[in-house]
Amino acid sequence: MSYDVTFQRRGLDALFDLKGRAGAIRGWAGDTLPQLPDRPNTRSSGGEVEVYYVGCDHWLARAPLDQEEMLEAQLQPATCPVEISIVRVSDTLSFFRVTGPDAPEVMAIACPLDLHEAAFAVDAVTYTEMFGLKALVLRCTGGFEFAVEQSFGDMVEDYLTRATV
Amino acid sequence: MLLIPCPLCGKRSESEFIHGGPVGADRPDPNAVSDAEWVDYLTVAPNPLGPVQEKWWHARGCGEWLTIWRDTRTHDIVEAPDGIK
Repeated sequence: MSYDVTFQRRGLDALFDLKGRAGAIRGWAGDTLPQLPDRPNTRSSGGEVEVYYVGCDHWLARAPLDQEEMLEAQLQPATCPVEISIVRVSDTLSFFRVTGPDAPEVMAIACPLDLHEAAFAVDAVTYTEMFGLKALVLRCTGGFEFAVEQSFGDMVEDYLTRATV
Repeated sequence: MLLIPCPLCGKRSESEFIHGGPVGADRPDPNAVSDAEWVDYLTVAPNPLGPVQEKWWHARGCGEWLTIWRDTRTHDIVEAPDGIK
C-alpha cells in the first residue's frame, strides 16, 4: 500500500532553548521574542520567530537560520541572568515535513499521540515519540512537521521512505 | 498499554515514559535501626498485591518526573498526580 503523501527533510533553523520562569525570560528577552505561550504544548509567533512551550519552564524559540546571529546578539546567552538559561541549539534537531492527504496515516505509523485536530489543535506543539525516538511534533500547512535529534536524521529519513512506499 | 497522566501534557502513552521504580520508604537513621531493618531498606523494594506508588519519568515528552498509584492486580492507575484526572 502506498500513501498519498510527500515528506521533506528540512534545512537548519535557528533554535534557542530557553529555561526559567516566564516572567524572567520575558524580562530579559524584551521584544526579541513574541509573547510566550500561556498553555503548555502550544506555540506563539511574532514575525518569523516562533516560541514553543515544551516543558515546565521550558521553551524553544525558532526562526529562519539567517536570523540566528541577530537573535543571539539580542538574547545574549552568555550574559543572561542566573535564573534563566538560553542555549543556541540550532544544529541539534533535524526537521521533517510530512504533507498530503494521507499525512495523518503516515504519522499514525510512527507516533502514539492522537493527532486528530480535535485533540491536537493547530497551535499544538509537543515532545512525543516518532519511530520510538523523542521528537518534537507540530502542525504545518497541509500536514505535520516533526524534529528528531540530528544524529537520527538519516535513519528517520530511511524509516519515512520505507513507511511511505 | 497504560495511559499515564502527566501533570503538564495530560494522558500520554506509556511508551513515552521510563519507569523509575516504586517509591520506597524514607531513609532511616542507620544508627537507630537494626541490621535487618537496614538491609531491608537497602534491598527490599515495595511489591504489594494492590496499589503501589511508582515514579515515572516523561523522558520522551516534557521531561517531568511524576508519581502515580498503580494497582498491580488490574493495572489501573488509581491515583494520579495532583490536578490530573
